[in-house]
Amino acid sequence: MRYVLARTGQAAVVLLAAFTASFVLLQALPGDAILIKFDNPELGLSAEQLAAVRTAYGADASPLTQYLHTLTGFLGGDLGYSVQYGTPVGQLLGEALPATATLAVAGFVTAVLLALGIAAAATLAPLRWLRTAAASLPSLLAAVPVFWLGIVLVQVLSFRLGLVRTIGAGPVESLVLPVLTLAVPIAAPLAQVLLRSIDTVSAQPFVAVTTAKGASRRWLLTRTVARNALPPTVAIAGVLLGELIGGAVVTETVFGRAGIGRVAEQAVANQDVPVLQAVVVLAAAVFTLVNLAVDLLYPVLDPRAKVRLTA
Amino acid sequence: MTRTPGHPLPADGSPAATDRQGGRTRAARTPARTPARTTAAVAVLGATALLAGCAGGRDAAASGGQPDGQGGNLTYLEYQPHTTLYPPQSGFYPNGALVNNVTDRLTYQDPETLEIEPWIATDWQVNADATEYTFNLRDGVTFSDGTPLDAAAVARNFDTFGLGDDERGLTVSEAVNNYAGSEVVDEDTVTFRFSAPAPGFLQATSTITSGLLSPETLDRPLEDLGAGSATEIVGSGPFVITDEQVGTEITLTAREDYDWAPPSSEHQGRAHLDTVTIVVTPEDSVRLGSLLSGQADVVRYVQAPDEEQVTQAGFQLFAPQTRGVNNGLALRFTNPLLADLRVRQALVHGVDNRQVVETVFTDNYPAATSVLSAAAPGYHDTSEALAHDPDRAAALLTEAGWTPGPDGIRVKDGQRLSLDVYASAAQPLSKPTLELVGQQLAEIGVELNVKSPDAGSYATDTLDPLKTPLYHSMVGRADLDVIKSQFHTDNRDVLLSDDATLDGLLEAVAAEPDPQARLQRSADVQDYLAEQAYYIPLFEEPQVYGAAPDVTGLAFEAVGRPTFYDVATGR
Repeated sequence: MRYVLARTGQAAVVLLAAFTASFVLLQALPGDAILIKFDNPELGLSAEQLAAVRTAYGADASPLTQYLHTLTGFLGGDLGYSVQYGTPVGQLLGEALPATATLAVAGFVTAVLLALGIAAAATLAPLRWLRTAAASLPSLLAAVPVFWLGIVLVQVLSFRLGLVRTIGAGPVESLVLPVLTLAVPIAAPLAQVLLRSIDTVSAQPFVAVTTAKGASRRWLLTRTVARNALPPTVAIAGVLLGELIGGAVVTETVFGRAGIGRVAEQAVANQDVPVLQAVVVLAAAVFTLVNLAVDLLYPVLDPRAKVRLTA
Repeated sequence: MTRTPGHPLPADGSPAATDRQGGRTRAARTPARTPARTTAAVAVLGATALLAGCAGGRDAAASGGQPDGQGGNLTYLEYQPHTTLYPPQSGFYPNGALVNNVTDRLTYQDPETLEIEPWIATDWQVNADATEYTFNLRDGVTFSDGTPLDAAAVARNFDTFGLGDDERGLTVSEAVNNYAGSEVVDEDTVTFRFSAPAPGFLQATSTITSGLLSPETLDRPLEDLGAGSATEIVGSGPFVITDEQVGTEITLTAREDYDWAPPSSEHQGRAHLDTVTIVVTPEDSVRLGSLLSGQADVVRYVQAPDEEQVTQAGFQLFAPQTRGVNNGLALRFTNPLLADLRVRQALVHGVDNRQVVETVFTDNYPAATSVLSAAAPGYHDTSEALAHDPDRAAALLTEAGWTPGPDGIRVKDGQRLSLDVYASAAQPLSKPTLELVGQQLAEIGVELNVKSPDAGSYATDTLDPLKTPLYHSMVGRADLDVIKSQFHTDNRDVLLSDDATLDGLLEAVAAEPDPQARLQRSADVQDYLAEQAYYIPLFEEPQVYGAAPDVTGLAFEAVGRPTFYDVATGR
């Protein structure tokens, strides 16, 4: 129980640190969103008009005032307004979040299936060269740039073969290509860790004993090896989340999907600080939560960890 | 990230039409001149435009439409999401495409002839010094929420556009200057008064930055006119925004009872199309692939290298010109390295804009022969002063005391002739363009560092002549005032100038009431800019669209924003 509390407290500190660090960094950037939006020559505003706009937006307040204002706003659930679009940040993220969550979950599940498939093929395939090919697949997939993969998939599957529509597709159809695109780079490290674990575990004496007792490779894999190889794989799930977020930015942009990645990409382009701040905190929150979950789950999956913790 | 010139402008110009013009004043303080072409100095512009206007057709770019009800649906792919539907801030193309189709304007400017014609206003009178305009309005026009578009509504619109509201973030329109106030004379008559002559106002009433919104919409703060609020924006145009997926998709639906197209339009009544689905598709290859594979009907922003793919597939390519100050490089002479006229002349002669166009662009991007586009009113050929002549450029630099250093880059008093320029997200293929220019300049011993900044650095650094000695930009707008807009110290001031002579010449363009004399004033400015080597014009910039072979009636307002009213797809 103390372990759980300590971990949760750590998570809260990490969140505050992420908020503060992102606030400071965003303040340190040259220029600001109001300058970018309103001091745009296109609007032809005079210096006085611009000053009035800045005052109206509170952009002339001191950094500390702005920090406290933003922080209390965040704590109270008010994320402010996007300077570029004028839309409340909460609304912007609220509408984008389900799309990204769907994409991320579907992408992750697909990646896990893909990784398991590769691991199974590399271990169980009937021919040696097939096993070798499957085993080298993760390195190959890890080297594929998400952006390039997305473009290739859409060009071939949608524009050439017409299998799925990119424009005017239904909710499921519109997920196919983005999910594939996202799953590949995540499946690669997953499969790699899984294969490495299988190798390590297979070299253990108990495996030899089980084999001597007449267990088949398949039985071994599913009953003993897999269970032992799982914990390290789960442990890197937290790290993969970063990959997932990065992949979502690219995937959503390539496929023109609504989502947090798109919102973030646009916010970076326009230095839309309120949006960026919210995205950073959101990403930090998700990251922290996933890692917290992994930390809390680990002792359950791996009894040895439990022993260490309680000792 | 955007490549589109997002200018706000009011619009329009006409190709090669040198003698006409609806002018508008943009400078505060500078009185402006008057537009209409025939009737000279006396400012009876309204009448002239009215008479002249009745002949013009409406389609700018494509063939006529189809009978109502056969229009079908159009899928239009946009490069970026819109940011606001407040008309004075709608110059950014994604905003403009929406405002152009969901609002009507007081007057209509023929995109080809540039004449100002009646639209919501049936006729108008202007006093002798252009400080008072009275418009008579058409009866029976309503906003899509049913409220009447009457004199009070029109007054409310221009009070907002002319005076702004800082508290609500509603900025003053660049097109409406010297605005003093409105008076509702009766239900269908409204008078506007100006604190100084505003001969450009009539043309300003025709541009998308003066799109008419319902009074209730104008009560909103800027935040409520942005993304996420599109379906609540009420105009009187042929289309109504009926659905918005924030940042990704907008649906326009034809208004069944629409019956007030400009009188000069052959097509009256409702739009042919039933719906227009605007899908934001940021990735160029996906936009193009969607068009060519039949998943989309029209796409905006076809990259120059992709044009051939569109035409070869038998698809339509449209490249309406943006008609104004050409895409080019402003030489900021307040930077000490560029203070010497000979150095600036050397840069001008060192750049081969034909090679730029041939290498990076296509025939739709004609090489510039002046600061102004050849399609812009007031164009005056200064190609001689701009000629590519590397030998002369090298000689000029030597004469100015810059001698080649060990690495070929010229040096003077221990300083390298090295200049920074920022790739501009708003200009098409800015980076490759600047890199090619850099290679050309390297041949005469000048180093050009092409930088790709983030938006914040760009916004701050480009205001500093020391950090940004060369500035890449353009302005699309066909009015003679466009040149003042780009170069005057009170306007965009791309040169970050301190040259009072230039300001004086620019003000003369804006203040000259006689149309012929005004053309001469414009030529004076172009000659002066060329003599002083203040600007390296590169090319005349179009907006490039691709459309499926069976899309008919696609038209563009004067600076290239799409008009869907006449479009039909049959799907």
